[in-house]
Amino acid sequence: MNKSINKILSTTLITTLILAMAGCGQSQSQSQNENNNDTQAQEQSQDENQDKASKEFSPKLPSDTEYKLSVAGTYSNFESLESAFERFYSHYPEGEIQYTYLDDYSNTIRQAIVGEEQPDIYVVQPWMYGDERYDCLFESAEVLSTPELEIDLDCIRTDLRWEMNNGEIKTLPIFATSYGMLVNMDIFEKEGLQVPTTFGQLKDTCEKLKAAGYESPIMGANTSTTPGIGYAFAYPMFAKAVKDDRSIEDDLNNLEPSCGETMRAALTRLAELIDSGYIDVNKCAAEIEDDYNAVILRFFEGDVPMMLCSGDVVSGTKKRESKSEAFEVNPFKYDFYVAPSGDDGGYYMDSMSLLFCVNKNGANIDMTNEFIRFLTSEKELDLMAQEKRLITPTQDYSLDEVYASLSDFPAERTISFRDTEILDTAVKQFRAAAYAVVNGEMTVDEAVAAYGTLELK
Amino acid sequence: MKKRYIFIINILIVGLILFIILKYANDRAEESNRASIASFEKMTTTTEQIIANYLEDEQHLCDIWSNYINRSAEAGTPMTIEEAISYIRKAKISPEISGHLIYIDDGSMTGISTSAKSTDPSDYSVRYTNINIFDNLEISNVNGVVNLTRAYTNPLNGVQSIAFLNNVKVLDDETGEMRQGLIIRVVPVSRLEQKLVFLKGEYEKVEISLIDWDGDYMIHGKSLKNSNFFEYFKSYNPMTTQEYNNVVDTIRTSIGSMHIRNSKNEDSVIAYSPLTGLDSWFLVAYIPAKELTVNRSIDWILLGIVSFGLVVLLHFNMGVLLNYNRKLSVAAEAANQANEAKSYFLSTMSHDIRTPMNAIIGMNEMILRDSEDEKVIGYSENIRAAGNTLLGIINDILDFSKIEAGRMEIINVDYNIASLLNDLVNMVQRRAEEKGLSFELNVDKDIPRLLHGDEIRIKQVITNILSNAVKYTNEGRVIFSVSSSKCQDEPDHILLHVSVKDTGIGIKKEDLDKLFAAFERIEEKKNRNIEGTGLGMAIAQSFLNMMGSRIQVESEYGTGSEFSFALKQKVVEWEPLGEFDLAYKHFLSERKAYQVQFVAPRARILVVDDNEINLKVFVSLLSETKMQIDTADSGDACIALFKRNFYDVVFLDHMMPDKDGIETIKEMKECADTPNQKTPVICLTANAVSGMRETYINAGFDDYLTKPIDTNRLESMLLSYLPEDLLEQPDATQATETKTENDKKVASNEEKSKAENIQSILIVSEDVGFLKRIRARLSGRYNVAVVKTEEQALAYLQKQEAIDTERREHE
Repeated sequence: MNKSINKILSTTLITTLILAMAGCGQSQSQSQNENNNDTQAQEQSQDENQDKASKEFSPKLPSDTEYKLSVAGTYSNFESLESAFERFYSHYPEGEIQYTYLDDYSNTIRQAIVGEEQPDIYVVQPWMYGDERYDCLFESAEVLSTPELEIDLDCIRTDLRWEMNNGEIKTLPIFATSYGMLVNMDIFEKEGLQVPTTFGQLKDTCEKLKAAGYESPIMGANTSTTPGIGYAFAYPMFAKAVKDDRSIEDDLNNLEPSCGETMRAALTRLAELIDSGYIDVNKCAAEIEDDYNAVILRFFEGDVPMMLCSGDVVSGTKKRESKSEAFEVNPFKYDFYVAPSGDDGGYYMDSMSLLFCVNKNGANIDMTNEFIRFLTSEKELDLMAQEKRLITPTQDYSLDEVYASLSDFPAERTISFRDTEILDTAVKQFRAAAYAVVNGEMTVDEAVAAYGTLELK
Repeated sequence: MKKRYIFIINILIVGLILFIILKYANDRAEESNRASIASFEKMTTTTEQIIANYLEDEQHLCDIWSNYINRSAEAGTPMTIEEAISYIRKAKISPEISGHLIYIDDGSMTGISTSAKSTDPSDYSVRYTNINIFDNLEISNVNGVVNLTRAYTNPLNGVQSIAFLNNVKVLDDETGEMRQGLIIRVVPVSRLEQKLVFLKGEYEKVEISLIDWDGDYMIHGKSLKNSNFFEYFKSYNPMTTQEYNNVVDTIRTSIGSMHIRNSKNEDSVIAYSPLTGLDSWFLVAYIPAKELTVNRSIDWILLGIVSFGLVVLLHFNMGVLLNYNRKLSVAAEAANQANEAKSYFLSTMSHDIRTPMNAIIGMNEMILRDSEDEKVIGYSENIRAAGNTLLGIINDILDFSKIEAGRMEIINVDYNIASLLNDLVNMVQRRAEEKGLSFELNVDKDIPRLLHGDEIRIKQVITNILSNAVKYTNEGRVIFSVSSSKCQDEPDHILLHVSVKDTGIGIKKEDLDKLFAAFERIEEKKNRNIEGTGLGMAIAQSFLNMMGSRIQVESEYGTGSEFSFALKQKVVEWEPLGEFDLAYKHFLSERKAYQVQFVAPRARILVVDDNEINLKVFVSLLSETKMQIDTADSGDACIALFKRNFYDVVFLDHMMPDKDGIETIKEMKECADTPNQKTPVICLTANAVSGMRETYINAGFDDYLTKPIDTNRLESMLLSYLPEDLLEQPDATQATETKTENDKKVASNEEKSKAENIQSILIVSEDVGFLKRIRARLSGRYNVAVVKTEEQALAYLQKQEAIDTERREHE
């Protein structure tokens, strides 16, 4: 008996000591493994991880390769990319990737790409293509579709996969964007309303919301920029009109006045909303000072059912939740929807927001290609889009539920960059026309008639 | 102390030591951390000074350029912008550093550079229109201090750079006017970063960043995300706005360090310091906290070793403890054996002495009863006195054995103080008279007559004191005083004051301590002729202690002593005792002859003893009860009779050859074909050591009676076990005028036999006094039976049923 007690006490003491000491050095991976065994939900999570593991990145270069890469871009702050760097470091820990914001990017990138400190990866925009000033950017770009690089470009949505004329792919879309509206889901739930999907439903909904006391059921930035009221609501409809009749595209780009008719349907819908009082333009102008920060903060006040904006504006919402006192006190659920401008539904502009090119002349081209190969996966691109709260360029919209409404959007009402070739000059005409109509400076007829001579404010 | 407590205490001590070691290790680690952090802060300060010096140097070089150009202007030979750039191109040594000169007086922010655009080797023009690096700088007057821009993109080659500024005056060769220009010394950030590589010192993982007033980086390491340090800090270190503002203010205004969480939620340390000479630039050195506390692992190893050592020590201690315990067990076993030997000795002595004493005292009792010869009676009285003395010695030893074993109990009953005094005086007066001593009695007549207490032990205490007084007084007198006083705090109690004063040999002061020590006899040699064991006073003191009192002694050697004590007693009846002398005389007259308590000619009992004389003594002592007494000299003989005849009571000796009493009663209890299944069996034993009562009751006996047999006790016991309807009043000539309670009980039974309709009442109570009072009150009207326990009640009822059945069969 005494021996038994002695043994039990000694064993307990020693075990406690060993466990305590072992506990000090317990690795995180162990605890993760232990935790993974805990619940059925975690088992499911494991299964999902296993599925993804089959597509896991497998380094082609020695993991102890030393490197230093630089990424030049237009964002002053690119934390989602920096998070991807961290994940890449787990495969190649002996290096560093630095993201650098270039001042006056459209000018300085051209110098940088042939300069003494060339970036290994740089950002391009679709509008740069065809402009001879930026030819160097595309000429310096690595052909990512080269089979030897084993970059899985199939994970990119077809509409966003940018093939050059010779079929080569030189750009990797990192984020997509669109135009539409942020919807305060709590208001709709409170008022017992469904988010409208057609223009008719939109009017009915606005009527009910006005009756419920919402002075301006729809708001937005009263600017002529792309996140502004006119562009966000009506441009997709205009683009759809061009897509449906591409024969007018050249004249449109050449600013032929007769092409102003193409804008009519979209501008008419816009005018109807304004005239019906569903968008109180004066209120918008008074309460929303700019097309980004003010839009978000006004929306977070919690009394705006629908806020017209672009996807880039949505990307700023996550960080500003904590900056809005009103939202912190009364948080609510919100989602992004395509503005329902058409009779059968809205039009989804599936636009590229940011593209990466690899500098084929970079000093670390092999490791740069490795990084791009790492980045070009549904998992990484989805994670980046989720963190940035922009639209993913992959097929899977599910990671950020704010954009869940875009999943399985009908193809016939989707417009991608390859469906039209509307030049920036023509786009600016539409923006000017929409702004004029929204602010009552012109009627729809006047704006249509003035196409080609409109000036952007 | 129980072993498990020792184990627990050991473990607690080990735990305490480990805790102290942990605390010590932790304190040392914290101290080490503080030292590491202080060292890290020092490195940061040193780095800051080097960087500040470097920036000042760069600014100085910029100032040299501007001074040269401005001196030319002041000398009346102003340079054109091309000449100024040409001069700078010659003056600068490093190819990666370039100089830009732009016009600021017209707000165009355009000019030329020492280096061509990377896209066009022939184009030296430079434009700062879209690069807003001058927003926070007073560029029209930047003389005298380091004028550093934020990190920006060099518009000519796209390289991230910093710029040092100064104003110049140059000649516009087109208009011939002097113009306000800004000379910009453009230094690639990478050049600064390369310098920082050599400033890391011993810290391999340190990352040095330079931030401006708003937190925007000039340079930053890979761990610090975001483009703004404060934004980064806020993202991964949730806190209130006020706390955040405090952190920002601290970094902006002081030199120091703090712990922060990095983007992986890891503990990190930043040290910060403002750059000397620059108003709005700050150096922030970042390092993972584990890099600073790496030495802490040494403490864990030390802790592990100490822990292991303590476990070994614990094992060793436990081993020693167990060994010690084994020895203690052996010693305890030996002590137990010695104790058992003592018990065996006491038992043997008790038995072996009491057995012949039974015969002596028993037979002597018969002589006293039967003899009419005064001389013979005198001899017989002497035998009784000697026998009683011898029994007293044996009883003292047995009492002391009980006290030592903790088995002595105080049993309180109602008693008559007159009766108690009678017994005492009767006992001592005769001895005093034999020694020619005067025995004086002072009894307070107001002492309540009926008290509640342990009469037997009180009598024993006073007997011991009185006996000693008589024994140690050769001439003079012994004064026995008893008085009472009321208790102030308990109105139903009195304090009984007892004092025995003698004119004996007295006790020396130095011997007073020995007085109550067991087996100690004062002045052994001098008093060797005085009989005694040396236990009497020790026993008396022990009894009084148990009753909440103690003996006080006042003595003068050679003159005499006074022993006294005050004992609290509950009063049952406040009726005063009155003149005790009268009562005593009356008592003496009652005591002169033996009086049988009852007769029961129809009762039949069996007595079993291997000693033939004892059987004769037993039968003789009960001869006047007229009971039918069968005897058996062995266990087997007993069982044979037990099976054959019905007995009202069986007395069975314990110590018998072949089959002792316990074996016999076991067989009797298992016996089914006997009419005596309900018959009480009383153990008759000379073994009177402590603990024997429990032994006999557990063995199956209903009661026990010690030898030598006291006739009164024997008859009292029979009265309680015999069926009441068998009891009869002794002959009138034998009856005493003052009936005892037992007499009353017998009389009551007789009345009952005369009037069979009288109802019987069985009273169960543990309070003996209560039982006596109830019986006294009801016995005239009812047949009252009293028992102390439920078991006795059931036994009584079963016995009554068996008797009734048996009687009907006999009839």
